[in-house]
Amino acid sequence: MAIIELKNVNVTYRVLMSKSGSLKELFRDAIKGTARVVDYVALQDVSFTVDKGEVVAILGRNGAGKSTLLKVLAGVLPPTKGSSKVDGKIAPMIELGAGFHPEMTGAENVLFYSALMGRDVNRVKERTPSIGEWAGVSDHMDFPLRTFSSGMIARLAFATATDEQDDVLLVDEVLSVGDADFQEKSKSRMRNLIEGGAAVILVSHDMRAVLELATKAVWLENGHVKMIGNPTEVVAAYEAN
Amino acid sequence: MKYAQLIRLLVGRELTLRYKRSVIGIGWTLLNPMLTSFVLWVVFSFVFAAKLPGQQQFAPYLMAGILLTTFFNQGVLASAESIAHNGGVLTKIYVPPQIFPLVAAVSGLINFFIGLVPLALVCFVSGQSLSWKLPLVAIVGFCLALLVSGIGLVLSILFIRFDDTRNIVNVFLMILIYVTPVFYPLSILGPKLQIVIQLNPLTSYLDIFRWAFSNNAVVTWVDWLFMFSTSILSIVIGTQMFKKYWPRVVAML
Repeated sequence: MAIIELKNVNVTYRVLMSKSGSLKELFRDAIKGTARVVDYVALQDVSFTVDKGEVVAILGRNGAGKSTLLKVLAGVLPPTKGSSKVDGKIAPMIELGAGFHPEMTGAENVLFYSALMGRDVNRVKERTPSIGEWAGVSDHMDFPLRTFSSGMIARLAFATATDEQDDVLLVDEVLSVGDADFQEKSKSRMRNLIEGGAAVILVSHDMRAVLELATKAVWLENGHVKMIGNPTEVVAAYEAN
Repeated sequence: MKYAQLIRLLVGRELTLRYKRSVIGIGWTLLNPMLTSFVLWVVFSFVFAAKLPGQQQFAPYLMAGILLTTFFNQGVLASAESIAHNGGVLTKIYVPPQIFPLVAAVSGLINFFIGLVPLALVCFVSGQSLSWKLPLVAIVGFCLALLVSGIGLVLSILFIRFDDTRNIVNVFLMILIYVTPVFYPLSILGPKLQIVIQLNPLTSYLDIFRWAFSNNAVVTWVDWLFMFSTSILSIVIGTQMFKKYWPRVVAML
């Protein structure tokens, strides 16, 4: 059964063709009749479905619409046209540690991040020590986040986001976090989540990881779906391009 | 509600984080209105104190005004700023965005309630008794929180769309302090000016507040009506406007 269903998703940004967004200039341009609004199409007619346990890799150059697609799936950006339906809980790992605050301790940040993802705070509170341990930052959990190294922050965020079994994981280039050991650890955790029935949307430029994990690949170009299907074929076509 | 825990965490953060590196911490919430009031008291007590009717004392009169306008000003600015401020989160994780302006208003409300402690102290020191109607202050606080969230919701959209709004709002808030009888009694103004001041909704909020804690003002049913209607109107318009324009604005974050 499809857990994600995208139907003819269009996203258009309205871009005002003036240098800055100040009121004065808007008035001036409106009076002169020179205010020009340009529609920038970020996604056009994107449709596909994702089943439980499927790993879908999104390929494409910078500006192809990958991030916009993830935002639509995360429910953050409503599509201008078409519909996006996701049944189930989403773990958005679009940017690790979005919502982390440098002045709060590691443990507090784990709580906040989990609450932002709509998780039960009391349950997370019990899990916090093991989250810290898995991320390898146990000794630092009671210190402010600003004392963490960037690697530690990313590890802690990954550990928090993947601590519960969610239905959909949105992953944007976050598998390259930490050293080789941690990368192995996080990949095996991802596999566990997938075996547990999670669907994964994976945005990555790392073709090895794509071939290793993905069961389906979507190639985006200028907001269109250029190719969709078997990862080996799509990656080969994408790399030949 | 699914996000109740998040709201509680965010309010807690808002209240404590500001003082994270300070020695007396949240004690500043108690001290701040007292210090501001003291300065204004030193400046204005010579001018206006004698003009207050009856046995009213200038210090609590002034401090009530400070507490209320601080709540309004800081609340409006904080909730208007909150969306842009949390843009990083809002573009990555789905959270109902209205939570952030709401949290700012609730934090302001709690600070306002904490501020009642020093206000009671000032009442005591200046020899004025607290009224039995004190619990009614909660209604004023609640209405003001609605007013603040509604205005904050509208402004948060505008703040993202037009950078200039920030400056306009700052000027407007400064003017608002002067057209609210914070540090002067209404009676020193001419009749025409009094009408202008009365048209300012905050005057009604402030009058009810002063009346509730210490019979420090005269209140009519018009004040109550004005307070309830502006707060409800504000939150209704605020949420509707926000809902309508949010999809357009989220792409600009």
